[in-house]
Amino acid sequence: MKIHNPIKNNHKGDILDNSIYTQKDPLSEILIPQYYRGRIVFRAEPSQHAKEMLEDICPTKAFEKSQMRQFSVDHGKCITCGKCSDKFPEFINIENKFARSVKNRDSLIEISTGEKTISDKPYEEIGHDLKNKIQKLFGRSLAIRQIDAGSCNGCEIEITALNNPIYDIERFGISFVASPRHADVLLVTGPASRNMEIALKRTYDAMPDPKIVVAVGACACSGGIFGDTYATTGGIDKIVPVDVFIPGCPPRPQALIYGLFLALNKKI
Amino acid sequence: MNSENQNNLTVKILDQFQSKISEILPCNSNEIHILLNDNNSISDICTFIHSNLDARLVMMVCSDERRIGKKFVLRYIFERKNEDIFLIVTADIQENGSFPSIASQISSAYLYEREIRDMFGLLPKGNPDVRPLVLHEHWDNQIHPLRKDFDLNNKVPLNTENDYQFLTVEGNEVTQIPVGPVHAGIIEPGHFRFSTMGEIIINLETKLFYTHKGIEKLAEKMKIEDAVLLSERIAGDESVANSMAFCQAVEKISELKIPKRAEQIRVVCAELERTYNHLGTLAGISTDAGFAFGASRLNILKEKMMQLNEKIAGSRILFGVNIIGGVRSDISDEQKNTILNTIGEVSYDFQQVLEMLRQKSSFVDRLKNTGTIQRKDASDLATVGITARCVGIDIDTRKDHPYSFYPFLNVNKFKTPYKQIQHEVELQKRDGDALARFDLRVEEISDSVLLIHETLDDLRADSLSNHKVIENLRPYRHALGYCESHRGQTLHWVMMGENNSIYRYKVRTASFCNWPTIEQAVLNDIVADFPLVNKSLDLSYSGNDL
Repeated sequence: MKIHNPIKNNHKGDILDNSIYTQKDPLSEILIPQYYRGRIVFRAEPSQHAKEMLEDICPTKAFEKSQMRQFSVDHGKCITCGKCSDKFPEFINIENKFARSVKNRDSLIEISTGEKTISDKPYEEIGHDLKNKIQKLFGRSLAIRQIDAGSCNGCEIEITALNNPIYDIERFGISFVASPRHADVLLVTGPASRNMEIALKRTYDAMPDPKIVVAVGACACSGGIFGDTYATTGGIDKIVPVDVFIPGCPPRPQALIYGLFLALNKKI
Repeated sequence: MNSENQNNLTVKILDQFQSKISEILPCNSNEIHILLNDNNSISDICTFIHSNLDARLVMMVCSDERRIGKKFVLRYIFERKNEDIFLIVTADIQENGSFPSIASQISSAYLYEREIRDMFGLLPKGNPDVRPLVLHEHWDNQIHPLRKDFDLNNKVPLNTENDYQFLTVEGNEVTQIPVGPVHAGIIEPGHFRFSTMGEIIINLETKLFYTHKGIEKLAEKMKIEDAVLLSERIAGDESVANSMAFCQAVEKISELKIPKRAEQIRVVCAELERTYNHLGTLAGISTDAGFAFGASRLNILKEKMMQLNEKIAGSRILFGVNIIGGVRSDISDEQKNTILNTIGEVSYDFQQVLEMLRQKSSFVDRLKNTGTIQRKDASDLATVGITARCVGIDIDTRKDHPYSFYPFLNVNKFKTPYKQIQHEVELQKRDGDALARFDLRVEEISDSVLLIHETLDDLRADSLSNHKVIENLRPYRHALGYCESHRGQTLHWVMMGENNSIYRYKVRTASFCNWPTIEQAVLNDIVADFPLVNKSLDLSYSGNDL
């Protein structure tokens, strides 16, 4: 192979020697670059005109005016395209922090008037006692069965990344298993296409108790851009009960790890 | 684009079929539309174009044009070998009517015909396979979602009683192994039915379309700016390629050019996408060959490329790069340096890993003669991308139909006749096995790195998008957009409707063409080699199922 301007990486050794590539704290946000489109936040209460426009320009209808006349954004629908923050930078900002996973679907809806429904508890707090919790509940290990219920493969790329040497979640005792019968957690992606409905139900039924179901990505949380049509069901909670919702399109590896921590927290 | 060639072709077709053709229309610079008087002559004309004019069937598009004073319209799109021309045979079909199947003359048509039967309810007369394809056996066979009178949100009840008939292989000691749709790894859903004799696979049947999400129907109800986001999500790892093909189709309809800098940024992102995906596939091949160390090193490199993507586009898998008329964000000088430094580091490390892999005889042996594709199968099935190139079929959309900024770049152009002949000899040596595909991916990574350098070195000062494109779309005009993703040619056919809506959006990704080859590639291999063969072909389920 011809190498064009090869650059030897001086910070670390040769890639073939056994230097450590794994991040010490997988939840640190230090590595997230400033351009990353993560979470929608309100800078200020949008004007009446802006509210109407926002409802119209959002491709997944994540903005909504509720009956109480409150204006809100649903992180479970948001695909972080950035159309709203491009149009109204004075009201909407798209941060380079990811939207946090929640246990309750309604907690993904954030109201513009500033009351935060999503906790800003630092990741580290949850991260430190993770290992103990896994040990208490599952005797050192947590087995995950991943199932794609019609995703675009974006979420799968990120879930696969959890196994690479950088994130390496196996060090926490979390592993992916080949059968639902070996699994504690069902990690579901996709808007649940109707052609996968039966397979998803059967996979859930095949799991031993306690069954923890984690919905990964905007599609699994709400149908995402694919919505609720003749071919999709508009979110996997229409088919199986969901314990944790991980928003994002796709959720970055840190967001996935955070969501898995949360899933464990619930059952203890 | 050579108009003399276009005229020659037109004359050749008219000579043969003067009485059967109502009109021949050139369109969008490289499309020739051949309008037929009636559908009886479809088979003759398609066969003539396929065999006498040496053209491949690259897509069949059906559209329901009853509301605009026509019937159902079928378009057979052919591509001439090494020539920038698309020949499009167009015929009208009656409602609830049938059309003659061309699957027995042109094998690659059989899946398109079955898809059209499911989605439009038009019967391909003579297609031997009458089983459902897109809408599984649970669906009522009177449901045809792409008809205009079918509502997008119509929740049809499913009948879970029905069974799907797999081809059964009979004989002593023949065993069936059902696999899927839920697989063992972190992978998309699909069903594989193996018939084996001992360990040897004697037949494989794939059943796909589990991830069918109704993308084509959904696009008809979407704003055109939002449809770009939808096209990115046809397959998450082909986001740039698919959105680029869609945007190019729309830009062609508007007949406006987009700024050079936007085209350059698109090309850089498309090549970054190719690089990270090929690295991922090579890592997957290493995993499936049982060599975990190689896989872990390659995954580090893939992760580095994904972190680079994020610094450029704000998304680790390059979502949100393209908009209609250009690109969303710029590449600053600082970002340019980041790209050059990262790909330099990754190239260096990749070289080390590669040297190590090539020295491991157990690794190389596992790939050699595994999942071999025959050249004839590959050309009959009209495969694209690496799957075609690994048997020496020299097709690459970047070279055959130069688009975007590629005409200004050095994509497989050979400066001397000697180099050209050397390349042709090298093509003949390709075996079509997993090792050939491994080597090709390695080569493409280094080509992509060169293309990124070439483009960034000459980044023009220009605006990022042409806003007039969206204002200039006339109803019922249509165009083809195309792009070479890391899997091969992706084709998007867009027809505009009133008020900037989309009337019909047909997508055909490389995976749709390449999936049938896996059934041929695994024959006479052992079951344990299947994951390796599957990974070396790198097929997308979502891109196929739409």
